Amino acid sequence: MFIGTIIYAIINSFILIMLAMGFNLTFGISGIANFAYGALYVLSAYVSWILLNLLKMPYLLSVMISILLTALLGGLIYRLVLVRVRGQALSEVIATVGIGLSILELFSYFGLVGFEYTLPVFIDHSFMVAGTYVDAQRIFIAGIGLVLVLGLWLFTHHTSTGLAFRGIAQDERTALTFGIDSDRVATLSMALGAGLAAIAATLIIPLGSIAPAEGYDVLIKALAVCIIGGLGSSGGVIVAGFIIGFAERFTDTYIGSHWTMIISLMAILLVLVIKPSGLFGKQKELEERI
Amino acid sequence: MKMHARVLGFLFLIVLVCSALSSAGNAQEPIVIGIPTSLGFLEGRESLSAVEMAVDEINAAGGVRVGASNRPLKVESIDLRDAAPGVPVPEALLGLEKIILEKKPAALVVGPFRSEALMAGMDIIAKYKVPLLGTIAMSPGSEKKIKEDPAKYKYIFRTCLNAVHLVKFLSGTMALINKEFGFNKVYVMYQDVAWARATAELVKKLYFDKTGWTVTGMESYPTGTSDFSSALMKVRSQGAQVIMPVFDMPQSGTLVKQWNAMKVPAILSGFISPLAGSAAWNTFDGKIGGSTNTIFELGSGIGSDKYPPSKAFFDKYMKKYGKEIQAGHGPAPSYESVYILKEAIERAGSLDPDAIVAELEKTDRNGVMGRVKFDAGHQAVYGFDPREASVSTVFQWTDSGRRVIVFPETIAESKIQLPKGLKSLK
Repeated sequence: MFIGTIIYAIINSFILIMLAMGFNLTFGISGIANFAYGALYVLSAYVSWILLNLLKMPYLLSVMISILLTALLGGLIYRLVLVRVRGQALSEVIATVGIGLSILELFSYFGLVGFEYTLPVFIDHSFMVAGTYVDAQRIFIAGIGLVLVLGLWLFTHHTSTGLAFRGIAQDERTALTFGIDSDRVATLSMALGAGLAAIAATLIIPLGSIAPAEGYDVLIKALAVCIIGGLGSSGGVIVAGFIIGFAERFTDTYIGSHWTMIISLMAILLVLVIKPSGLFGKQKELEERI
Repeated sequence: MKMHARVLGFLFLIVLVCSALSSAGNAQEPIVIGIPTSLGFLEGRESLSAVEMAVDEINAAGGVRVGASNRPLKVESIDLRDAAPGVPVPEALLGLEKIILEKKPAALVVGPFRSEALMAGMDIIAKYKVPLLGTIAMSPGSEKKIKEDPAKYKYIFRTCLNAVHLVKFLSGTMALINKEFGFNKVYVMYQDVAWARATAELVKKLYFDKTGWTVTGMESYPTGTSDFSSALMKVRSQGAQVIMPVFDMPQSGTLVKQWNAMKVPAILSGFISPLAGSAAWNTFDGKIGGSTNTIFELGSGIGSDKYPPSKAFFDKYMKKYGKEIQAGHGPAPSYESVYILKEAIERAGSLDPDAIVAELEKTDRNGVMGRVKFDAGHQAVYGFDPREASVSTVFQWTDSGRRVIVFPETIAESKIQLPKGLKSLK
């Protein structure tokens, strides 16, 4: 039971990390809090479902098209909407909330509601891991989550685009003097964040089903992880994902499932009281220094 | 002079035609039925479709006779969103008041999805005196309020199953499982909402505790929970042979998938909304053979050849909308409620809410889910024989993807079968 709880806590942590990674990346680089993030997650799942079930495309092709389309939409949201309100945090939030709500409400309006809206698992099999049955999809989530974390680190540290991302994230004005186009980087960060949301949906949705309400849930989870970790901090997202992931599963097993949400929220509150900028966040400290 | 007479005559003719058209218009003025519910959820959406189907049928047959005139019905709906996680009850109530004030409905059908919203909304309904035939919210708390203050809350009726009647059906299924296989250890998992909480606690108190069952665990889950691994590990380690789930949230489908993936050696028997409809077989990749699920009202989600009106409704819905009803709760009583309302208005001969309520209380009709009669708490009475009362039904998924009704006996098509991998204790 204890080992089983640890296994499912690790998987839960990777689910949370994957849900938050895209939101965090966009915010960390461009400073845009993309509140349409949850809607993009749901949108990509519906696109995959439509391509797979209505247009009868192969699964792999469907999810790849869906990921690309979602990334493209993320970039377009920046180019067509956010570029006009860039730097005005409140306007950015209002704009992305509006876009997110519109997407989710459209799905409800068109009746894409029901339990048949789901995506297939990659491999339909369960494995016995240390005396606990774990399905292949969850093992994939943990594995691909790990690969994505490492991949993102390599991308941001060893590619010119990634270095440009970090340059803008560290100091936009100085980066501009080096010829880095901040609008291009922000567009790419929005696209990459949206693409990561789509990858997360491809992996996580097969565990349950697609529903417009998932969009709000995903956004709240992503925000919770990012706030604990410190907005914009990749390391923070990983640590926070593990804190919440373990807190949820251990609360479930040893205290009671109805306490899960309360314990998670208390963890958020505790971190914010002790370190208002999050575990690895710098913003509040910078403000205080100024 | 002649010219004046012609002009006057022409004007008189126009006035006459306008007057005739106007009175004809009044005769045809539709009776508005308001549908305030959670339209973003399957049960709410299919309930609205069922209401629209009934309204189309009634209008095609000439409408509703009110006194000397026939009037068509018109449906107005609003999404209360009360089923969604995190939506506060006061927000849902704004929608309820809005549809009453703006659309001036003669009655409401379906109503709030969550019992919490219904309970809080009862004062609004009483304030505006609009009869409600609720078809989704299930907490018996509303009946208690009606019985305590009937003059105030008499406008609220419920045609769907309530938690108390559901307890009878769940207890009956558990008794069947115990009788057939000797199982007597159960793990109860339920959604942390009023109706599900009341159902789970009542089944424990009124059935499990009195019949010698061991309840190895009772876990409540906030709406939106999407990981049930901890409880399923407990089921295995504590040796429970039966899992009794009580959930109406879409995320409860994850429980079914995890139950299957973790190869939990226990039969799943209770209510999980994603397991109710025929599409569940594909949704869960055909790995639900042996599980049983409750259909709250016969006709919603499944029809029975042994009670033809339920099958006729199920098939008509399929013909009209091109797909089968997937919700196991809501559509049948929603359809039925429109006919109940029509008959009450016709008997009352007016749209006066008090007169309609008086006639609703006298309802006694054989409908889609059986015979409909209301008790003192304005709850439709549910029993085990559709010729005597409305009925719920319990079906079992076969390994070939069919749904076979196993309870109650009056409409059962087969005995309950033990799922693969489980051994009978008898």
